[in-house]
Amino acid sequence: MRWMTAKRTALIALCVVVALAGACSTKKKGVGEEGTGTGEEGLSGSSLDRARSGRGPEEDGILKDIHFGYDSAEIESSERGRLDENVDWLRQNPRAKIELEGHCDSRGTIEYNLGLGAKRAKAVKDYLVGQGIGGDRISTISYGKELPLCQDETEACWARNRRVHAVILGK
Amino acid sequence: MTTARLVAWMMAMAIGAAATRADAVVTGTIVGPGSQSFPIAVVPLKNLGGDNDGSLGKTFARVLSKDLDLSGYFKLIDPRTFIENQASGIGAAEIDFVGWAALGAQELVKGGISVDGDKVTVEVRLFDVPGRKDVPEVGRRVSGARADVPRMAHRFADQLLEFLTGERGPFDSQIALTSTRGGRGLLKELYLWTFDRDDPMRLTNEQTLMASPRWRPDGGAILFTSWKEHQPHLFTFDMQTRRVSRLVPGAGAVLSGAWSPDGSKLLVAREDGGNSDIFLLDRSGGLIRQLTDHWAIDVSPVWAPDGQRFAFCSARGGSPQIYEMGIDGSGLRRVSTVGNYNTSPAWSPKGDRIAYSTRAGGGFQVVVAMMDGTGAKTVTSQGSNEDPSWAPDGRYLIFSTTRGGGHHLALADRDGRVQRELTRGTADDTSPSWSARLEW
Repeated sequence: MRWMTAKRTALIALCVVVALAGACSTKKKGVGEEGTGTGEEGLSGSSLDRARSGRGPEEDGILKDIHFGYDSAEIESSERGRLDENVDWLRQNPRAKIELEGHCDSRGTIEYNLGLGAKRAKAVKDYLVGQGIGGDRISTISYGKELPLCQDETEACWARNRRVHAVILGK
Repeated sequence: MTTARLVAWMMAMAIGAAATRADAVVTGTIVGPGSQSFPIAVVPLKNLGGDNDGSLGKTFARVLSKDLDLSGYFKLIDPRTFIENQASGIGAAEIDFVGWAALGAQELVKGGISVDGDKVTVEVRLFDVPGRKDVPEVGRRVSGARADVPRMAHRFADQLLEFLTGERGPFDSQIALTSTRGGRGLLKELYLWTFDRDDPMRLTNEQTLMASPRWRPDGGAILFTSWKEHQPHLFTFDMQTRRVSRLVPGAGAVLSGAWSPDGSKLLVAREDGGNSDIFLLDRSGGLIRQLTDHWAIDVSPVWAPDGQRFAFCSARGGSPQIYEMGIDGSGLRRVSTVGNYNTSPAWSPKGDRIAYSTRAGGGFQVVVAMMDGTGAKTVTSQGSNEDPSWAPDGRYLIFSTTRGGGHHLALADRDGRVQRELTRGTADDTSPSWSARLEW
């Protein structure tokens, strides 16, 4: 347990340093603002890293979340505008690498939703690649229903959680 | 009632035997778990030396009573009405059978405990109250450490169920689960729960997400999915060394896995390029065979107890359904026939039934069906209920439920007549896996 205490102290110390650098803000940022950062400007960290450091998952970011229908990994036409904004940003930042995180709503079991989240991330990757973005710039990961944005059992909340969130790994 | 008749009557209560034997002995009685057919009194163990505050004797009675209640076969006589005190002996001659009968007890559990340092010896007996005698088939002398007292009680409960129903009880066992009890938001760790505990006990400190814990059949390790190396992979927690180690090498994400009944092979759901399929691996993760190759989601492989077939969840028919297949890749067959969203299969250790989660209304319910898909019966109704795991006796299921808010563990029998909540609190307890019976 001594080890845990030491590690926690280190974590707090790290957070203080990061906070002094102006990057530990808990303010929910608006669309188009720079990310909250884990050190490097513009990098907001994966949803799991955010959960590890006690921050909630990020909704949108520099790149827009892409939303899906229930139990679906089909790209909906309503998401085209947001996808194309993401394509534009990736074209303007040709050295940027991203990771696409597939997320699901709470309806469905843990393992099935892992499979579904993987399909959603792949569908967005395929769209971006189809628009000429290099596939080697895009990795994917599934978090299933494990890291929801919200936990209300309402259609509005479920819809927010059915998403592919893009994390910028480096510019 | 003579002991012989009592035995015949009790045997008739056995689920399997009810139809064939019951009519000869009992009429008009609903039998099986949930029937609460047996009024029973459990007396705290008498201190025969060393258990001076009576705490171990009380622990034994508390754990045994809880198991008997969970089984659904018993109606426990309220201890506050007990007529005998600690001073009376445990021989049949010293028991006030008339008094116990007046309280409605058909059966009585009494015993003694002696403690010498860390060594505890327990002697427990089951008494047939109408027959005014003890039942020699149940009850015995057993020794162990102080910490073993709860397990002694579980073992006695399991023996009692074996005597009464013909099938040994499942309570001397362990439950692996994932839980957010660590207080780190959505992060989950591996936990262990036993039927004598209020709260699960934390096993890991990985500070990441975890899912789908499953026992190695020998009970020596727990397999689980963890995001500790970024992508989801399979890891094991060794119960002896308490060490976590990666199991399946390679870069592809592994969503879940299950050890074969003989522990020599693994079934895994591996994800590559967005698509998940089922693979058969050797115990160290080497590929034996790819079993499914379909663009739709294939997840949650689980073994048949004979190790020759497996069930899994696939969306290949347009919606998630339960399928089975041979481990040689032959004989694909859809098992679930009702419901438009069925996931999380669990193959009964008896081989004849399958449990799974089905979407119903706003949530999920646990269904039990025969392996050929017939006789599908929803065994839960309150709250949303997911991820069923069979007891080693094939009679009970543990699953996560939202009745009472959050996710907690609950138990039902395979007919849905017994419903018991097992854990409480503000954290989420998910994905329970019921171990085999423990070795003594």
